[in-house]
Amino acid sequence: MKQIILYLITFYQKYLTVISFGSCRYHPTCSSYAKVQFENNNIFYAFFFTILRILKCNPLFPGGFDYVKVKCPAKNQLNLKFKKIKVKYWKVPVKNNYCLILQHNTTWDT
Amino acid sequence: MAQPTDTVNKEKTQKRILMATVLSFAFFIAYDFLYLQPKQELVNQANAQNAVTMEKKNIGTTGTNSAPAVNANSAPVTKTTAASNQAPEMVTTSKIIATIETLKNTIEIDNLGRIHQVTLKEKQYTTEDGERIKLFNLNQLKPLEVRFADRKINEEAFNIAVISSSSKVDATKNITELTLTQILKETTLVKTLKFYPNGHYDISVTSTNNADFFITPGFRPDVLADMYADHGAMLVLNDGTLNIIEDEDMENTVEFVGINAASAFDRYYASVLYNYNTSMAISVMKDSEDSPNVFIHGKNSISLSGYAGPKEYKTLHALDERLTSVIEYGWFTFIAKPMFILLQFMHDYVGNWGWTIVFVTILIKLVLFPLSHKGMVSMNKLKELSPKVKALQEKYKGDKQKASMHMMELYKKEGANPMGGCLPIILQIPVFFAIYRVLLNSIELKGAEWILWIQDLGVMDPYFILPIAMGATMFLQQKITPNTMADPMQQKIFQLLPVVFTFFFLWFPAGLTLYWFINNLFTIAQQYYVNTIFKNARIARHEKHEEEKNHNKTK
Repeated sequence: MKQIILYLITFYQKYLTVISFGSCRYHPTCSSYAKVQFENNNIFYAFFFTILRILKCNPLFPGGFDYVKVKCPAKNQLNLKFKKIKVKYWKVPVKNNYCLILQHNTTWDT
Repeated sequence: MAQPTDTVNKEKTQKRILMATVLSFAFFIAYDFLYLQPKQELVNQANAQNAVTMEKKNIGTTGTNSAPAVNANSAPVTKTTAASNQAPEMVTTSKIIATIETLKNTIEIDNLGRIHQVTLKEKQYTTEDGERIKLFNLNQLKPLEVRFADRKINEEAFNIAVISSSSKVDATKNITELTLTQILKETTLVKTLKFYPNGHYDISVTSTNNADFFITPGFRPDVLADMYADHGAMLVLNDGTLNIIEDEDMENTVEFVGINAASAFDRYYASVLYNYNTSMAISVMKDSEDSPNVFIHGKNSISLSGYAGPKEYKTLHALDERLTSVIEYGWFTFIAKPMFILLQFMHDYVGNWGWTIVFVTILIKLVLFPLSHKGMVSMNKLKELSPKVKALQEKYKGDKQKASMHMMELYKKEGANPMGGCLPIILQIPVFFAIYRVLLNSIELKGAEWILWIQDLGVMDPYFILPIAMGATMFLQQKITPNTMADPMQQKIFQLLPVVFTFFFLWFPAGLTLYWFINNLFTIAQQYYVNTIFKNARIARHEKHEEEKNHNKTK
């Protein structure tokens, strides 16, 4: 299910964004937000937050920065082996054991 | 090093998007020409052939006619064996034994007590040659045909003529009754029909000696069954949900219980049997073309109401409010139906469907006005910041993500966000589809004309005037919208959009293109208004500035 949704989002981003081009009031855009949600969150939460985000994406709301927020990973889930891994997301702790998810930018690698 | 790969990538994406657009067009056009049209021709051919075989049949061969089987104790319908209850078709051509005249239609009953044909009387229901529309294909299962569960009785029933209480019924002024009696060896079947001036009827059927029988609303009307809208059978469950069985799509006999209405429908017309007080049990069997034939389980007595005619909202609403659910608009019913009711409401005042669409478009625009206005104002505000934006773009030339992040920061600082947002765009989609389905499925809009060259809003504009006007307004709209797009590739695609849309709209129903065109016109007007306000403000500021300068000089 998740895979299908992710595939659909990717398809949308690749071919259909032309229609709604550059209209999003947020960073990250609604579609990338949805992608991050579905990759990192429970499917029901992901649906809920994605729909909420789309509903908020209109001129009555200010827009701006809105990252995906999830519970921070437990200590034993952390990558503590210090092996070289390919980074996709950064989880940045904020208040109350919640983390914001930032997409890794390849220009940061150097 | 980064620069060349970047441009290569851009070119690649650009090519890919172009390819995708071209491919999707090619697909749609090919689909239309290679699949839809030949299929249509095949159907026509098949119909012609059917007629031929039918004639042959009438000369002497026997057809097959099976009733759905039930188990002996006649509890809810159970398994059906495919070959059960084969009954020979009446070999003689059907004779009309009763003709009923109502205000809306002429109903003919044949010598097996079935509805032979329904001819619509109202002026708007005529064919292109000016002939009155006849609903049914005579080679198909006829409405009100009764089949017995018992094979022997069934066979006999198809060979013994029905006796009618009168041969001419005039129901144009009063509700008039007609009784059809069929006396068989083991049972007597009595159909009591009550015809109403508005064209619908009540029917109660009883059989003696507990002979189990089924009754059918018949095969769907065969006036307009094309690939653009669903046709087949529809069952309305007592919880209000719909079950649609499309033609040529059946694999096995299916059983249903808890049904309130059974409809056999094409694009604009339907034959419905309904009873909202008690639920029916139904068997849906497939015919030789895998299309559904609906049989209502009557046990030994059943009372129903029936209607065969156009799926006109007001007519159905007058019969029973709940009956309007047989007009179906597909997935988008939840928005298409309110849309239709709004259109109908406006039409009562306006009187012309084209102008109704224009007014409804304006209405939608007005409702969304606060949203779009705010967006436009902040977009203009941002235009004044454009030097700052340009500087940002220069600074983060290689890194799109960083650039967009800093842009967001700037928007936040200035309290303006240039983007309309995803929601307004997403909202457009259901509205668009709703109007599309309403145009396709509403008999009221069939042949609805607007002005001059538009004779039918439900089909494409024959001279492509509306789509081209639509593309032109879209282009204009883009021109006067201050645009903050940074990427030249994005801008190119954006500029290509009016062309792509014009192309798409060439074959769309004229009513839909009209909606989009009016929508664009008003967006332009609104944008122009906002632009002038800002321009005036700028001029005023400038003049003030000059004045101060002059003032200082004279000092």
